[in-house]
Amino acid sequence: MKFVFIMLLRDLTADAKAINLAAVRLVLQPAVYLFVFGYVVGGMLPTEGGRYSEIIAPGIIAITVMTGPFVTVGGSILSGYYFRTMEAWLLAPVTLRTLMLAKVLSGLFYGLVSGTIVGLLIWLILGLAPQSLLMPYLLGASGALFFSFLSIVILLFPETPDKGQELFSFLLMPMTFFGCTFYSYSMLAPPFSYLALLLPTTYISEGLRAAYNPALPHMDSTFVVLGLLLAVALLYPLAGWVFRRRFRDFTW
Amino acid sequence: MTPALAVEHLQCRYPNGTLALRDLSLDIGVGEVFGLLGVNGAGKTTMIKVLGTLLRPSAGRVRVLGLDVGRDRVEIKRRIGVMPQDINLDTYLDVRQNLIFHCRFHGVAKRESALRVERWLEVLGLRDKAQEPVLRLSGGTKRKVMLAKAFLTEPEFLILDEPTAGLDPEMRAFVWNSVLDFRRTRRTVFLSTHYMEEAERLCDRVGILHGGTLAALGRPSELTHKVGEDGRPLYIEMHDVFSNVVGSAA
Repeated sequence: MKFVFIMLLRDLTADAKAINLAAVRLVLQPAVYLFVFGYVVGGMLPTEGGRYSEIIAPGIIAITVMTGPFVTVGGSILSGYYFRTMEAWLLAPVTLRTLMLAKVLSGLFYGLVSGTIVGLLIWLILGLAPQSLLMPYLLGASGALFFSFLSIVILLFPETPDKGQELFSFLLMPMTFFGCTFYSYSMLAPPFSYLALLLPTTYISEGLRAAYNPALPHMDSTFVVLGLLLAVALLYPLAGWVFRRRFRDFTW
Repeated sequence: MTPALAVEHLQCRYPNGTLALRDLSLDIGVGEVFGLLGVNGAGKTTMIKVLGTLLRPSAGRVRVLGLDVGRDRVEIKRRIGVMPQDINLDTYLDVRQNLIFHCRFHGVAKRESALRVERWLEVLGLRDKAQEPVLRLSGGTKRKVMLAKAFLTEPEFLILDEPTAGLDPEMRAFVWNSVLDFRRTRRTVFLSTHYMEEAERLCDRVGILHGGTLAALGRPSELTHKVGEDGRPLYIEMHDVFSNVVGSAA
């Protein structure tokens, strides 16, 4: 377990070295999104049951919960490949499972921290706050875990992560724009509503919408949380298998 | 006494089908410095990866410090120090942080890590570069940091893959002395090298790897001193021993 925390400390130290980049990623980007789409555009658009800013704000958190683990877990696999850092980590006296857990927990941490930062920005810029913190953190945690495992599967399933990198970029776009982040699920008609159900950002956004303003149309929260937890439970063994398959014999 | 390394009929095949090592058997005693010579592609790095538990043997048995490389990976990694051929430093960290985190990942306590790192920074003359990002370092300096990493955890078995490649003569002499000092503490060294002089000066025994198997094995003096056709002792340069073995085995 100590190794897991030391790895997290390593990730924090690495980010502290590039604090400007981290600040842009964690604060500036979401703040610009919130100001433009939430404050400016949101003020102009009438929405059933609330303001447009209440629709988009949870969506921005969902995007952050996705990109946090993608950058942390995915980025560390990619740099581990290009700069061979993975070899050094594999030589540490821990099991492959512990190494994977360390990376995933780092992704979870970054997902939650970046989600919290955006939550604070939403409060500062749009004056919105969730009715309780339990549901947002539950959704944030399950979402961050999901995307951490997904990063492992996407990048480590191919022989080398550079091959998975394209799929990674390819997935980011639909998750960001078609996962009900900029609109609510109720605004979609078939077949788009069916397609949106395939994207985890849909569930995170909808669950967060319910937490911010239950009067807005949203998916059933219990369904959302159970769906996400089920997705995590299914993805965990797959990620574990992919990780072992790739690193039981290190051929990079 | 359990040998530091026991290899029995080792075979190693990569997923793409390449047979990198075939039917390789070798014992190395505790406190021995063993040198593996071979041309590029002979299988030296594959052998190093197997010993470092990064690759599993396809067939045969390999025991490091009495532990099986397939079953006891974690315990082996706890007791060995590895300097791989390629630089694997953490590019997001500076020199000191690289060394500190290496110690911490290997279970060395925080205070002890700091002490060891400062000592090695001093020894390697890297104190003024301690806060330098590793991406800005020269190739030779990066290898110095890699060398420090191998020694930092105070391993029982040191595995060095071409440790002096790219180093200046002064630094090369430093590495040689470090290896010899290490051996004085009755700990074992397995190193691969291209340099005949290095093998001759450092190693108790030398193996010449060719086509994935050991084509010659013995003390440097045994390999270099032969009896001539006229019955008189004949000294052959290590380089010629190597050329003869690789040539005859090809």
